[in-house]
Amino acid sequence: MSVKSVSVHAKWIVGKVIGTKMQKTAKVRVTRLVLDQYLLKYYNKRKTYFAHDPLEQCTVGDVVLLKALPERRAKHVTHELAEIVYKVGNVIDPLTGKQVAGSLFRETLTDSMENPAGSLTEKLQELNISAATREILQKPSEV
Amino acid sequence: MPMKGRYPIRRTLEYLQKGDIVFKNTVKIMTVNYNTHGELSDGARKFVFFNIPQIQYKNPWVQVMMFKNVTPAPFLKFYLDDGDQVLVDAEGKDHKDISQHVKKILGKSEEVLQAEELARMVHSNPANFGPKKYCLRECMCEVEGQVPCPGLIPLPNEMRGKYKSQMKGTEV
Repeated sequence: MSVKSVSVHAKWIVGKVIGTKMQKTAKVRVTRLVLDQYLLKYYNKRKTYFAHDPLEQCTVGDVVLLKALPERRAKHVTHELAEIVYKVGNVIDPLTGKQVAGSLFRETLTDSMENPAGSLTEKLQELNISAATREILQKPSEV
Repeated sequence: MPMKGRYPIRRTLEYLQKGDIVFKNTVKIMTVNYNTHGELSDGARKFVFFNIPQIQYKNPWVQVMMFKNVTPAPFLKFYLDDGDQVLVDAEGKDHKDISQHVKKILGKSEEVLQAEELARMVHSNPANFGPKKYCLRECMCEVEGQVPCPGLIPLPNEMRGKYKSQMKGTEV
């Protein structure tokens, strides 16, 4: 009776997390393309899987890669979390490695915060220098 | 009466069966990221529109997922059985270039496909009779020109064992 130990047909799965209300378990919706026999067009068919997530890192809306467990862990839990592919709100572009939002790149806050402080003091110094030069220019014109 | 939709040829069995790309057994998941606007994603959009149905038809056990407007640059990602991931950049490429590239890196070669077809032909002998799942015909009555099924049309008396035994009994 070794049929159940093989667990599921699908070893690797990519899906979107739809629920994290269970402890250490994520509810993942997986869509596969299924051919409509009459229209001969492919449509998404949904199926929900439960995945074991020991560190509770998933939030609703993450795109997640699941790996099939060698043995069924609970009545419904058949997969475990292998990797979070796209974290919701913090998608990282695999080509460049930078943070991305839709079709734009996000610049991280730390970079933009450091420069203003430095640039302000520099600007003050520039103002002083420019004021001094203006005075020097005006004095000869007067005299 | 023409078919509905733009490019309805995509929805014909002939078009689907003409698909080139048959993935190797290790490829489990294919993910396409593309944008709905912009010229850079144009090749990826055409790839999804024209080639994805063919790929899914030839590889029914591969999960294909599409993501729209997630990242600025379009790309394809493949997840293999060992846990390996293959990233294919699709920015600015034509859909034919993308499909040829994918076929080159992850598709089964012509020789492998022909060898598989030969193996399948050798395995299934058309001369065998049996269940529809494994053989072409179940009974000789299905073949044209042969004796029709006695369930539909009664056999002539010369071929019926019951009649023959009755005649033998009455004669002798």
